[in-house]
Amino acid sequence: MMEKMIFGRYLPLQSVVHRLDPRAKLLFIFGFVIVVFLANNALSYGLLAVFTLVFIYLSKINVRFLLAGLKPVIWLIAFTFLLHIFLTREGDLLFEAGFLKVYEGGVRQGAFISLRFLLLIFVTSLLTLTTSPISITDGLESLLKPFKKLKLPVHELALMMSISLRFIPTLMDETDKIMKAQMARGADFSSGPIKERVKAVVPLLIPLFVSAFKRAEELAVAMEARGYKGGEGRTKYRLLHWQGRDTAALIILVVLAALLWWTRS
Amino acid sequence: MERNKLITMIEIAIMAGLSFILSKVEFGALWAFGGSISLIMVPIFVMAFRRGWQAGLVTGLLAGIISLLTGGYVVHPVQLVLDYPLAYAVLGIGGLAVFHKPITTGRIFTGLLLGTSLRLACHFMSGIIWFGSAAPKEMPVAVYSFLYNISYLLPEMLITAAILVFLKKTAPSFYKQSASIGSSSASY
Repeated sequence: MMEKMIFGRYLPLQSVVHRLDPRAKLLFIFGFVIVVFLANNALSYGLLAVFTLVFIYLSKINVRFLLAGLKPVIWLIAFTFLLHIFLTREGDLLFEAGFLKVYEGGVRQGAFISLRFLLLIFVTSLLTLTTSPISITDGLESLLKPFKKLKLPVHELALMMSISLRFIPTLMDETDKIMKAQMARGADFSSGPIKERVKAVVPLLIPLFVSAFKRAEELAVAMEARGYKGGEGRTKYRLLHWQGRDTAALIILVVLAALLWWTRS
Repeated sequence: MERNKLITMIEIAIMAGLSFILSKVEFGALWAFGGSISLIMVPIFVMAFRRGWQAGLVTGLLAGIISLLTGGYVVHPVQLVLDYPLAYAVLGIGGLAVFHKPITTGRIFTGLLLGTSLRLACHFMSGIIWFGSAAPKEMPVAVYSFLYNISYLLPEMLITAAILVFLKKTAPSFYKQSASIGSSSASY
């Protein structure tokens, strides 16, 4: 089971999108998720689709990876589309067969909403495909800095997030090791009735939790010994550099929003 | 920086990582529309019972963000917040039922029920908001959202409950914050 697990979805490639500052990408994606809702006719949706395709092309990400991200929601999209075809009664009647009445408005609504889902999922997937989780954390920490004034512990949250991400591969190895050790002693995690499987998980969880708490304590001691005193005056190992292309990305988003505003009906 | 605060912070971080790993241990068939039954809630509740509801809240928040960053899906801005960071963060509030009180099976269930109901509320609202914006007007969106979300949350809650009760029997020290070996008990 564990071998199938790849941590995160980041694909380290060389592309303009990869090189963008994570702050720019976060702002861009956040803006895009809102701007998408401006589209409401064929022209504006077409514009969005073209824009997304260009974005995907620039990221050099294989479409295969984007399609893989659709798997959990493809049924939802299909279901929504069918609902609209059968239930929305607007526009001209296209055809009729017994109960079934398909209207032009239903097909149009269904297509638009499915397209909106697709575009949203593609664009948000592009963020996690082109940016490593740790860069996203750095970007979020920097963007949320103003909230420090409201007593939001931004530095602490970002630190915890980085530690979490750093330890996931380690914990994954450990889980794998404990699972194999328990399997060697006859534990069965993948078959049998639910009750047995839940019971089988307990001997996996106990050593895992014990070592996790121990690890936390050791790390705290190590950090204290090295003089960690919280966020004040702490310098960073990874620095973010805002460049011209990052500003350009945000300008492009504003232009897109303006075009959508102009073409929507 | 105070030692206990630092240990709590790091425990939160590691438990959030563990949540992510346990979210991959799935029971039964993968559910159709994205939801699945997993052990993701176990470390969040252990933290909430061990270090209080705030610690549980932050553990859940981080666990939600990690699952979003590693393969979540976004179909609506409100859905993003409700389905990921918030849905898992509110689980921590279940800690109110247990923290600083002797741990009993009854309190575990109360905490679990409190946290899971709040999570259900988040997924339920998210379902109404984004599905409501997508489905035809005649659809009973609320009923659909409720039935769908409870269909995986109820079994997930029962499995989590079983595990938390097993842990109470076999490793009660997980729920006590003084359990860590080297930390000074004097500060409590």
